[in-house]
Amino acid sequence: MSAAPLLELRAVAKSFGGARALRGVDFTLQAGEVHALLGENGAGKSTLIKIVTGAHQPDAGTLAVGGERLSHLTPAKARALGIACIYQQPALFPDLTVAENIGLRLEAGTSLRTIDWAARGARALELLRRLGAEIEPDAEVRSLSMPEQQLVEIACALGAGARIVIMDEPTASLTQKEQHLLFTVVRDLRASGVGVIYISHRLEEIFALADRVTVLRDGESVGTHPVSSINEAGLIRLMVGREMTQIYPPGEATLGAPVLSLRGVGCTASGVHGVSLEVRAGEILGLAGLVGAGRTELARVLFGLTPADAGTIELNGEPVVLRSPQAAVAHGLAYVPEDRRRHGVVLEMPIAENMTMAVHRRMFPGAWLRFGAERSLALDYIRDLAVKCTGPDAAGGSLSGGNQQKVSLARWLATRPKVLILDEPTQGVDVGAKGEIHKIVRRLAQEGLAVLLISSDLPEVLGMSDRIGIMRGGTITAVLPGNADAPTVMSAALGQSEKGAA
Amino acid sequence: MSAPVQTSRWKAIVLRHETALLAVVVIEWLCFNAIGPRFGSLDNTFDILRHSVEIGLLALVMTPVILTGGIDLSVGSLLGLCAILFGKLWRDAGLSPLTAGGCTLVIGALAGGLNAGLITGLRLPPLIVTLGTYSLFRGLAEAITRGADTFTNFPASFLFLGQERWLGLPTQAWLFGAVAAGVWLLVHRTTFGRSFRAIGFSPEGARYAGLPVQRRLTLVYVLAGVIAALAAVIYTARLGQAKADAATGYELFAITAVVLGGTSIFGGVGTVHGTLLGVAAIAVLNNGLVHARQPREVAGMLTGALLLLALSGSVAPKLWAAWRARSRPSPPPTPSSTTS
Repeated sequence: MSAAPLLELRAVAKSFGGARALRGVDFTLQAGEVHALLGENGAGKSTLIKIVTGAHQPDAGTLAVGGERLSHLTPAKARALGIACIYQQPALFPDLTVAENIGLRLEAGTSLRTIDWAARGARALELLRRLGAEIEPDAEVRSLSMPEQQLVEIACALGAGARIVIMDEPTASLTQKEQHLLFTVVRDLRASGVGVIYISHRLEEIFALADRVTVLRDGESVGTHPVSSINEAGLIRLMVGREMTQIYPPGEATLGAPVLSLRGVGCTASGVHGVSLEVRAGEILGLAGLVGAGRTELARVLFGLTPADAGTIELNGEPVVLRSPQAAVAHGLAYVPEDRRRHGVVLEMPIAENMTMAVHRRMFPGAWLRFGAERSLALDYIRDLAVKCTGPDAAGGSLSGGNQQKVSLARWLATRPKVLILDEPTQGVDVGAKGEIHKIVRRLAQEGLAVLLISSDLPEVLGMSDRIGIMRGGTITAVLPGNADAPTVMSAALGQSEKGAA
Repeated sequence: MSAPVQTSRWKAIVLRHETALLAVVVIEWLCFNAIGPRFGSLDNTFDILRHSVEIGLLALVMTPVILTGGIDLSVGSLLGLCAILFGKLWRDAGLSPLTAGGCTLVIGALAGGLNAGLITGLRLPPLIVTLGTYSLFRGLAEAITRGADTFTNFPASFLFLGQERWLGLPTQAWLFGAVAAGVWLLVHRTTFGRSFRAIGFSPEGARYAGLPVQRRLTLVYVLAGVIAALAAVIYTARLGQAKADAATGYELFAITAVVLGGTSIFGGVGTVHGTLLGVAAIAVLNNGLVHARQPREVAGMLTGALLLLALSGSVAPKLWAAWRARSRPSPPPTPSSTTS
């Protein structure tokens, strides 16, 4: 083992606006090591990777490759140093052949150079065979399966002489057999002295493959352990074991009758299947799960954006068909979407126009706009929800994230809904506004609204929910009581065995 | 407290695109009035009005189309097709001009419905769909007449619509005024107009807000079809004849007027009164150049120049602000950003 590690990060910090994504993380990678990186959604894994690949500059801290300290790493420099990243979705040109894709990455060409097709093909073949892949260099990338495309990416990394290979959830879309092939490749890379940073939510993979594991939580490293000295329960504890830094508004739930009942609801197009669920008046049902577990997809099904093609949806005991958002709104459903800049608020339009957008029919009978009524409604919500703005005429895009979220919320409260679906309502929102949004949501529930709260923020789900539904692979796998502890919820979301204390 | 608000409001009105455009129309008028002796006469003013009604109608209904982020290239061809079908219905089917006109409006609605169906049903881009119907409608008009048949000898009672005055104004000006008022109210005073702008800014955002996006898009394209048919009837009455090549290229004049009037081709931003000013700027320019004894080509050149000037003019303040911001020394770092 050489003295200097292959990659060494010391006290690396990075903030985006007010949000501190990384707060002084140490991380080392040795040659010939597979080092797993683990953490909840938003723990800082992506930011760390982007710093290593030169896409982001750290605000503080140092980064050294092979003992050499680097002050200003760019993506090009990172590539030159032998750092390669394999993403979950391969970034290849689908209409070009495998050899052309590999050539584009590896050949330092100028526009005037001629291409040696034979050499390009031979090189591609050699790299692919080194990986034990049976892919023809002449095949169009479009015709390859997802794992085959990943192998092409890895071939590019190999060909570039990568010493550090980062794999971001490489097995997310692979079958069991394809996973084994990938593991073999990773082990071969390790044997040849390459350092691999391996990101995955699947704990069993980490135990099967990694030498060491570092757990990130809230932008901090909470420990690096040899895999041999820790077990799954220990890892889960590290991932979630944080102090409750925030006080959540208390919920003395006085639950009413079931408002929303789902029985076997599914939608082939969006991968949601067999969802059965009941939300009662006054209840906040949290939906926890990993990114891609199907929570937003379920919300889109309920809101008629991708209508259900299986099962029954009942509102107040009446079966309903929700084929479009208009139908969903008419039945008293409201959906505050995850991506507020694209879906929640029309950025170019004034706050007042945004707030009345879902209540045109009730606010403006006969379709005639009533500017006075609109303005007073907007002023009411600006006051009630404490929206920080210059007035109802300010453009939605001029507000901060949290205030945009309040405008989006106001739009849906104006519809006087029976069921409110909140999708990541506090993502990218500063702490102050976050607390305010929590209070508003709790108050709404106490007023008898049925709330479906989708959140990747585990403390938020734990703090706000009366019950917690766990989604995994497009369906509800468990419903836990609201007082469930973080490790239980996290285990269930990860699909670990110790789930189901319901 | 009220004084600065007042000044900023005045400043906003003066700096508005429509104000600048109004100034352009006035300057055009004054220049041509100085050059051509007969330009400023009432007769000529009515002449300008008559000649701009058809393009004006197309521009009026093009405004909501463009506000939704779409485009309708087929309106000029549809005008030609409707003129032919109107002639057919009157001469060959023996309908009265009034009944034939009513039927023509229905045909216009159906043609607009075809555009709408392809755009909302198959989710094809409006540019491609209406490029197709642009050729289709004109081709149909030519096929029906075999490129030779023209319709003339309309009764005087019908020609009254295009060539006479009623209550002191050219007859068609009343229709134009009614359509202008209707479209203005639709765009600026109803939830329909609100929806058009929301769709233009963010089609997905409008869908997530529960707005009936498909129905609203259908409305704008059907409206464009109906009004193109109305323009066809007026066009036929003004010229006293209907030919397959009627109104060739009108769609581009209409789009020019809309964009000149300050409507963003990307959707969301724009006004109907801006469009009317755009129509006026083009109409006055074209007529004035005739009076100034300039060849027709000059009109095309100047219209193009005016459009490019207007577009650059609307971008210039932003570029100026950006340049000012860059050349200004950067502000000192705030205390909070130096904590590390």
